[in-house]
Amino acid sequence: MEGVSYQRFPKIKIREMKDDYMKFELRETDASMANALRRVMIAEVPTIAIDLVEIEANSSVLNDEFIAHRLGLIPLVSDDAMGMRFSRDCDACDGDGQCEYCSVEFHLNVRCDSDQTLDVTSNDLRSTEPRVIPVDVAARSLASESGGFDSPDQRGIIIVKLRRGQELRLRAIARKGIGKDHAKWSPAATVTFMYEPEIHINEELMETLTLDEKRTWIESSPTKVFDIDPNTYQVRVVDPEAYTYDEEVIKKAEAMGKPGLVEIYAKEDSFIFTVESTGAIKSYQMVINAIEILKQKLDAVRLQDTEDADIGELAQHLGRGGL
Amino acid sequence: MGYREKDSVETHNNLAKPIKSAVDKFALLPEFLKVRGLVKQHIDSFNYFINNDIKKIIKTNDRIVIPQVPSLYLRYTKISIGKPVEYLEHHAEELNPHMCRLSDRTYASPIKVDIEYTRPNQTNKEYKKDLVIGRMPIMLRSSSCVLSGKDEAELAKLGECPLDPGGYFIIKGNEKVILIQEQLSKNRIIIDTDSKGRVNASVTSSTHETKTKTVFFIDKDKIYLQLNQFSKPISIMIIMKAMGMENDQEVMQMLGRDPKYGFLLLPSMQECRSEKIITQKQALEYLQGKLANLSSLRFEINKDDRVKKILTNVFLAHVPVKDGNFRPKCIYTAVMLKRMMDAVLNVETFDDKDYVGNKRLELSGQLVALLFEDLFKTMNSQVASRMEKAYDKASRSTPLDFIHYMMSDTITNGLERAISTGNWDLKRFKMNRKGVSQVLSRLAFIATLGYMTRVSPQFEKTRKVSGPRALQPSQCGKLGVVDVEDLSGEELHAPDSFLKFANAMRKLRRKSVIGEFVSIFVHERQDGVRSFDDFVREGLIEYLDVNEENNALIALYEHEIPKDGHDEDNADVQKSSITHIEIEPFTILGVVAGLIPYPHHNQSPRNTYQCAMGKQAMGNIAYNQAYTLLYLLVYPQRPLLTTRTIELVGYDKLGAGQNATVAVMSYSGYDIEDAIVMNKSSLDRGQIVVKEIYSNETSDRIVRPQNEPRKQALDADGIAAPGQIVRRHDILVNKQSPRNKRDRITNPMALKDWYTSFLIDYAPSNVSYKGPEGETTVVDRVMLYSDKDNKMCVKFIIRHIGDKFSSRHGQKGVIGTIVQQEDFPFSEEGICPDLIMNPHGFPRYYKPNNFLQIFFFFFICSLFSSLHYRPSPNF
Repeated sequence: MEGVSYQRFPKIKIREMKDDYMKFELRETDASMANALRRVMIAEVPTIAIDLVEIEANSSVLNDEFIAHRLGLIPLVSDDAMGMRFSRDCDACDGDGQCEYCSVEFHLNVRCDSDQTLDVTSNDLRSTEPRVIPVDVAARSLASESGGFDSPDQRGIIIVKLRRGQELRLRAIARKGIGKDHAKWSPAATVTFMYEPEIHINEELMETLTLDEKRTWIESSPTKVFDIDPNTYQVRVVDPEAYTYDEEVIKKAEAMGKPGLVEIYAKEDSFIFTVESTGAIKSYQMVINAIEILKQKLDAVRLQDTEDADIGELAQHLGRGGL
Repeated sequence: MGYREKDSVETHNNLAKPIKSAVDKFALLPEFLKVRGLVKQHIDSFNYFINNDIKKIIKTNDRIVIPQVPSLYLRYTKISIGKPVEYLEHHAEELNPHMCRLSDRTYASPIKVDIEYTRPNQTNKEYKKDLVIGRMPIMLRSSSCVLSGKDEAELAKLGECPLDPGGYFIIKGNEKVILIQEQLSKNRIIIDTDSKGRVNASVTSSTHETKTKTVFFIDKDKIYLQLNQFSKPISIMIIMKAMGMENDQEVMQMLGRDPKYGFLLLPSMQECRSEKIITQKQALEYLQGKLANLSSLRFEINKDDRVKKILTNVFLAHVPVKDGNFRPKCIYTAVMLKRMMDAVLNVETFDDKDYVGNKRLELSGQLVALLFEDLFKTMNSQVASRMEKAYDKASRSTPLDFIHYMMSDTITNGLERAISTGNWDLKRFKMNRKGVSQVLSRLAFIATLGYMTRVSPQFEKTRKVSGPRALQPSQCGKLGVVDVEDLSGEELHAPDSFLKFANAMRKLRRKSVIGEFVSIFVHERQDGVRSFDDFVREGLIEYLDVNEENNALIALYEHEIPKDGHDEDNADVQKSSITHIEIEPFTILGVVAGLIPYPHHNQSPRNTYQCAMGKQAMGNIAYNQAYTLLYLLVYPQRPLLTTRTIELVGYDKLGAGQNATVAVMSYSGYDIEDAIVMNKSSLDRGQIVVKEIYSNETSDRIVRPQNEPRKQALDADGIAAPGQIVRRHDILVNKQSPRNKRDRITNPMALKDWYTSFLIDYAPSNVSYKGPEGETTVVDRVMLYSDKDNKMCVKFIIRHIGDKFSSRHGQKGVIGTIVQQEDFPFSEEGICPDLIMNPHGFPRYYKPNNFLQIFFFFFICSLFSSLHYRPSPNF
């Protein structure tokens, strides 16, 4: 055991990158690494979200905690989140807000005076820190700056609707947090990875099929993985990554009496990641932050390693239990 | 919206084509519900009572006469029931239902009568118009209700939910439903065996004047009549003779030529002969001797008259005797005898008491009518006896006037008491029933609807309990047979299935007619010319009852009818004799069962369980919410997959559930025995359930704030403020009562004067919250109002969080554990489920074949569109 190094040097290849969407390949590593990255992205990359709400007046139809909950779920631009302090660790304040290191204050003051129903949206939230605003507001101001008219929805995220005479006044404090504590702090809309599939068609066996049989076999796959070459009438793999490991084609081949028609393996050291962000952090920043946090966590373990006492105990424990 | 537009284009194209099938018959159903409604039975029957029945009751009891002074009388000439108002001191306040719910009042209208009456020693009549004799509780949405004919906006203004079906009463702030009572039919011959195993035929006669029961039975081959007015059973031949059928031959001929009947009647004839009764006179004399000594008959002096009276008014009372002509009664008696003898000869002709055709459903209108009649008579006799007493008193300083004795709360209190307790104790009609009315359950919208359509079975106490609960084939299509509850009865079927898409038998045999007629219908509908009622009038649609159903052959689907010309090879004889088509097969199930998607793929007990559970589904119970205990879902969703029934009852507007992504797998070990694993992030993002409890307190005096423990929730006015967090034992109202409650305060101004009120000694009588320990509960709303006696009332709504989950297939579960999202399984596409169910639970509940369907619903699919189940529009 001593001296053997299992160190590997993973590679990342970015396929597609947008502000809120990213697809990349992670190669030459194993599932534990890929999964660690996924988990950190979902649960441990910090963002900023409204956490404390002081309601001054609420005569709307929704009750206080309901509104507080809805406010919490509004994604805020969290580019500064990595540099902020958790309010529990903040020594500049006692955690009640009003502190530039760990919190951002918001105000909301809306009253409906017309006969029309008034939508209270994320647009109505007034931030004390111009860099921390609801993501849809940021996206719209960016779109209008660049002169684009293609901003998708002008309305903003609806918090509550007010009728004539109803009022909502509140003070909200946004804090840094992680998805583990509450899903509102999770920057990830979707983080998923799949093993890269390796598909081998047994050409010889395939040629024993008629064209119709080939077609029915191809159609047995719920996703479009295979296709027929219009020139050679041969079955070819058009999109291996569309395969969902459903094994329908293998079962179909068996049902047709041609087992071994196709062989599909999962490459156990290459992963295709799909990352979608809520908008709180750019998708690529999310990956970078996740790697950073993963590093910090490993550092924490390494630091413990040098303080022999703890790790010695752990090793002893593992030794007894493991053997 | 896109969905609808596309839909309408499609229907437009469809219209251009000739229509060959009657698949569009579904469109009739909403039309039907417009005409009939789901709780229309209640409302119609109440309307009938208010508009017709009550007048008949007044007419038959229109006189109050003082026996001693025949010249003194009072006569009712008119009765009317106005809009609901309450008379406070010197002014009338118009009532609306929501006001009554909030302030614990009764939603009732004054009963006004026009009277004419005389005064002693005066010849001219006195008249009085619009005299109020009591208050009648008004059924919501009935013709006398302020809500009738109001549109959605007007209803909202009155604080009423437009989806609320109505059909119940509000008594002292409580919503009460009068359940539909199942009863044996009146005026119908029922052949049965009694407890001694004797064949008997009974008829319960019911007319406006009387209700009586006549029983014939066969004992030792002889046929007897049993009537309460006679002390002993009377041989049937004597009765026949007493009614003028002196000739035995004539009786025999009435029964029919078959000598079998003659043999059966012979012993009775012999008995009659042995009593030496040959003429009518002898028979009447014999009957006089058998009269029971009933006190009710004491007024009649002439005994001969009494027997005649009994035969006219009690014996088979529903058969009228005109000018002393007993002939119709004789014929009816003969019919009864013949049916009894048929039963003796052939056991199959016995009647089944559980057969729906032998039953009638008694609705709230009839029950209230009965109650009113009883109270009205009681009031009249009270007035009469008081008048009599007053007349007897020598002093005539004030002229005797009926009006002074009319003001009585008999009717108001009697109606209120009966409806609020549910005890119909009417000695006059020998009726003593408990639990006729029940509090309307408001736990869920569907529970409310289910309540309104429930039937309470009426079984005689002597019977075994199992019989009435067993399914009766004749209930099919009339009563929702799936949703049978323990004791409280079955759900009445939405009355839609009573109607069948009718075609005359001949038309159908001529085959091609169907297509034509349907296409006519569709085009006409476009112009909006013909309504559902027109179809009924034109005989295209018929209502069939159970008895008529026996003479009809009803197809569920159009394709079950043979196509034109070529009869299929071995065409069923049955097929060609189909007389009707059901408008929609799904209407065979009731409202509650109609919520289940694909019920025919479920194991049947699961459907029954789901019926019970569907009523517990949380969501919004109505647009207006102020009831005793209520459950709310914070983020209710419209189901992705709806059924036609859901759309028809408007349940899609009041969501009661959420669409969840479900994984079926074994995970973590916390999911055995119906427990489910929940995704924490899904919970964080708003799959939250909120339960609200509503408590009520009437304060008798002064409230004042102070800075003390347990009073942190209190506002400056001494009442807990909305939004405050309360814990167990926290004080909600800082109420104080004077220690001295009994003695009158010497200075009546003391109470009004704030300073002097300090002089009175007060003891605290706080109202504290008595909820469970350890939960965070919040004051949701505080309502202040004054009740009838101008006392101040405070009501609180207090909310806290609950948990319990169920699918729409009768499978419920608790949360076994909550797992972080990153620990949850995920798919290549990035789908992460909201909850995980253990597949080990399935085989217990479903047949393997049904797995797929059930899975299908867990992964609710929006692509599906079949005739009955389809994704909701606007998704």
